[in-house]
Amino acid sequence: MSEPLASMRGITKRFGGVTALSGVDLDAYAGEVLAIVGDNGAGKSTLIKVLTGVYQPTEGDIYLAGEKIEFASHADAAEQGIDAVYQTLALADHLDPAANMFLGNELTKKVLGITVLDNKRMRSETERVLMERLGVKLKSLDAPTESLSGGQRQAVAIARAVYHEGLRVLVMDEPTAALGPQETARTLKLIMNLKAQGLAVILISHSLDDVFEVSDRIHVQRRGQCAGVVKTAESTTQEVLGLIVGAEEAA
Amino acid sequence: MSTTSTIPVQKPLTERIEPYIAIIGPMVMILAILLFMGAAEPTRYFRVTNINLILLDVALYLPMAMAMTFVITQRGIDLSIGSIAALSSILMAFLVKQYGFSIYVGVPLAILFGAFMGLINGLIITRFNVPDLIGTLAMDLVYRGFALVIAKGLVLARFPDFLTEIGRGQITGFIPIPVVIGIATMIAGYWALRKTYFGRYTIAIGSDPEAAALTGISVNRYKVYAYVLSGAAAALAGLMLTGKLNAVQATSAPLFNLHVIAAVVVGGTSLFGGRASMIGSFCGCLLLAMMINALVTLRIEFFWQSVASGVVIIGSVALYSWIQKKDRDGSGGVLAALQTPDGQKMLRFSALLIGLLIALLALGGIFAVTPGASG
Repeated sequence: MSEPLASMRGITKRFGGVTALSGVDLDAYAGEVLAIVGDNGAGKSTLIKVLTGVYQPTEGDIYLAGEKIEFASHADAAEQGIDAVYQTLALADHLDPAANMFLGNELTKKVLGITVLDNKRMRSETERVLMERLGVKLKSLDAPTESLSGGQRQAVAIARAVYHEGLRVLVMDEPTAALGPQETARTLKLIMNLKAQGLAVILISHSLDDVFEVSDRIHVQRRGQCAGVVKTAESTTQEVLGLIVGAEEAA
Repeated sequence: MSTTSTIPVQKPLTERIEPYIAIIGPMVMILAILLFMGAAEPTRYFRVTNINLILLDVALYLPMAMAMTFVITQRGIDLSIGSIAALSSILMAFLVKQYGFSIYVGVPLAILFGAFMGLINGLIITRFNVPDLIGTLAMDLVYRGFALVIAKGLVLARFPDFLTEIGRGQITGFIPIPVVIGIATMIAGYWALRKTYFGRYTIAIGSDPEAAALTGISVNRYKVYAYVLSGAAAALAGLMLTGKLNAVQATSAPLFNLHVIAAVVVGGTSLFGGRASMIGSFCGCLLLAMMINALVTLRIEFFWQSVASGVVIIGSVALYSWIQKKDRDGSGGVLAALQTPDGQKMLRFSALLIGLLIALLALGGIFAVTPGASG
């Protein structure tokens, strides 16, 4: 394969005396879905929080398109093209989808020299991004976000991340955890769309079914270390489960 | 390039009318008052002079209701507006009457004093992490205390025409000037809620403070802005009241807090945050003013208006909670609730309390003697 888009080398993260990650390597390629699996406390969340700039690594380097980078904050990482959609989605339920998509980053216009929100343009942009990038059409863009289904809310949260033209790596933390089977299928389809558009998608999931359906490679975390990276097409659920619980090394 | 998937949105009737409930609720009650007064006291209630009185009363509360809509939408509450209104007007009165300030300086100065008091409220709440309820309640005491310290028992009266124009002036052949001011503030509030960062972030903060902070919104700064707006609006209302009565004293405007909160809540702005309705707040002000005026017209004792306001608050909040409750369990109402073990215990407890009350009253009645002078 070609050069990885984002790679982490020898990442170690300590919180006081606790070592959450020790010497983890991770590579994410453009146009690929990389799944990260592992038991609770295996270091999945810490690993992506280091990648998205929420935490700074104690040791190790992050490279984006071959260049070494350092993030001071999550906003910094998002600016450079690495963003995340968290499980809670961070949506304001009483605002409509367009307001949510541009929350904290509103489009404005000048009316008589006063800066006001350009709700009309935000609405049309939201419609466009949802349609073109995610293939989702909402019946009504006027309804508050709370009236949308789980999958639609997910789409709005993803649209917020992909609206940034410079976005290259999208991390999704348990996107299907709170969804029913139909909504899950739709969300997995969204992930495939994003992959087809050349993004590097990093998917964190507890559901091996979902992981085997959409991912290209699987990175298994175990006790703060990388227990192995397998190609999804050449692997089985048994093998991955074995890596997660550490059966391979015991055998 | 990508496939289309239309995700259907299904909406039950309650959800479809939900956005309009804020206006429908008070409108129905306003209509009820109109019908009732039309039957009971049509000549006195619908007189031009009486309608003017109602409008003047509405106008007084509109600026504060507008500002309070922002505060409550952010999950806050401002209990200090009555005292801010009194204190800022008293400061203005002293500057004008004692120190010879021009009224044209005094009026904007009073509004800035109000804004400054709002700033103190906001900083206490956001910097010292004092809950809104306690912070503004305590500052209400502080501001009222300052007003009493400054004015003692004095009634400051007779102000220049500019102030009385603000309070009770009339645009000939049209509506009173305070009504114009009140409606203008409401329109500005409606616009700000929809079209400015402040309005947008107010709803976001009330909806989910953590999500708002995650998207990079400075939650504390916008909270402070809301309290500053509330303070300035309270000062404006204080000026309007002072102009209306052409007098001010330290104990002026004692019931502003609850009256304004009632109007906003009746109008459908949720105390749980995120749900704002500026038109609802307007209707709420109109409803309360009409209701209180109706009580006066019906020659019901003035003090009953306090009872009526309280009942309207409880009634409307309970109604909204019921409408917005997402998972109605269909337990079958009050009777079914009383049959649960917990309901039974509550019933016995209430019966015991009421029984004791009646027993003591009866005891007092039996052993009562002719009251004589005590002490």
